[in-house]
Amino acid sequence: MSVRWMMIPAVIMTLAMVVFPLGYAIYISFGGSDTALSSGIGFSNYRRMIDDPLFWSALWITLGLFVVALVLQLVLGTALALALNRYDVVRGLVRTAILSPFMLPPVVIGMIAIVVLDPGLGAANWILQSIGLPPLLWLASPEWSLLVIALIDTWQWTPFVALIVLGGLQSLPGRVYEAAEIDGAIGFRRFWHITLPLLGPTLLTAAVLRSVDLLRFFDIIYITTQGGPGNATTTLNIYAYKLGFDFMDIGYASAVMITLAIVVFGSVLFFAALRRKVAW
Amino acid sequence: MKQDVKNPLVVKLVFALGSLIFLSPVLWMALSSLKDPLTVTAYPPRLFFEPTLENYRELFGRTDFLHYTWNSLIVAGCSTILGLVLAIPAAFAISWHRLTWPATVSLFARMAPGTLFLLPWFIMFSNMGLSGSYTALILAHSVITMPLALWILLPYFDGLPREVVESGQIDGCRGPTILLRIVLPMIYPGIAVATIMSFVFSWNYFLFALALSGFETKTAIVASFNFIGEGTTNWGALMAAATSIAIPPLVLTFTVQRWLVAGLSFGAVKG
Repeated sequence: MSVRWMMIPAVIMTLAMVVFPLGYAIYISFGGSDTALSSGIGFSNYRRMIDDPLFWSALWITLGLFVVALVLQLVLGTALALALNRYDVVRGLVRTAILSPFMLPPVVIGMIAIVVLDPGLGAANWILQSIGLPPLLWLASPEWSLLVIALIDTWQWTPFVALIVLGGLQSLPGRVYEAAEIDGAIGFRRFWHITLPLLGPTLLTAAVLRSVDLLRFFDIIYITTQGGPGNATTTLNIYAYKLGFDFMDIGYASAVMITLAIVVFGSVLFFAALRRKVAW
Repeated sequence: MKQDVKNPLVVKLVFALGSLIFLSPVLWMALSSLKDPLTVTAYPPRLFFEPTLENYRELFGRTDFLHYTWNSLIVAGCSTILGLVLAIPAAFAISWHRLTWPATVSLFARMAPGTLFLLPWFIMFSNMGLSGSYTALILAHSVITMPLALWILLPYFDGLPREVVESGQIDGCRGPTILLRIVLPMIYPGIAVATIMSFVFSWNYFLFALALSGFETKTAIVASFNFIGEGTTNWGALMAAATSIAIPPLVLTFTVQRWLVAGLSFGAVKG
């Protein structure tokens, strides 16, 4: 019995809503929709990127946010997973706390951030002051806003990473640990030399899932800072969106978005290759 | 590897306290939505106050928020149904024929930034006279719900013994009949999870509705975002809007939380 034809509706949907638009975006990026005929089809939109300081700043901001947030989430997520594995507490209140942040709409998280991190009246500064620390500008600070965004994302996604790592921990072979105990490997040494290498593939799975989202970071930034102050939080995705929808520069916007897609694709390939290397 | 330890009371307390601190921003949101305009911007912030529902009355009574919530329901509901209608037969075919390329294709599609599709969609929908329509939004959101439903359903289909389908063939049933009469009743937990997760993801999704919705079809998510620009001064109403749109995904998540915990850890190890 062949039921292959039952995929046809899904395939048509994918062709119409994903493949065709993707091809169209590539076409636009090569100048295909430019009304000025003189520009013609070519690489001009891509060449423009090389001389565009805003493109480069957006690229570095994207990569900076990606590295900082990814490292924080992997380290904290692993620590949390070890604690959750040590004590079997993933139910009730703890489970709610773990699942809520990444099931909330990003808009809600942005709105909370705006109210809690308000430099004048926010609860965050009040907490800082009551323990004797100076108040901060948070998202309004040109120097720190990107780090604040990274921390918000870390709050939201560390539990997700922890759940994935927890799954990896629970599937580790117990025999290895018995052998390690005989060899006298305990505590941090056991973690560093045995658990961590065995967790490699799981950690890289988490890294792939998070990097795809982190490199395309959009929602929380657009909701809270709109890329500001100045261009301090203008990631590639924010920059491309503004180019396309605020400045109607759709050819250049598409070129930037395709470059971003290539960056995401490259990082996935990198992690996939790394994952094969650490597989056991 | 699981270590069997009976949790001492102190461990339970530490985890409970940690969870509360971790959730404090969300609790603060709910608390702020119950404060009157003077209390909500009081500094230092007040933990104890006389709660009022005035913000919700303002939100649903004097703005169009109810209409936007209805829009969200339509878009999330229809894109969930469309996603499932497309994904269920596809998952059946993929699982039965053990195809691998659809997974690769959906993986590629997931890597592309959503903004990349927006400009072509915008032009496509304008040319078809669908700008700002429910149809445009539902189609766009199905690009999220369909692969999500497929990804959730495939393990359920793969877990069915092939004999189940083969027995249907012997009885002379054709593919669609086997799917509807025999297979679907056996995987209804999967359908339930896929429905709930699709609805939540579609409800939460910001970018597509931001760029594609019209004045009349704005979702509650986009309307809330607009509130930020219009009047950040009225924090009470802002937090009431945030609480209102947070409740559906949170409530729905609790109905599938067991699956979420198991599914996430299992899926990652397998993949």
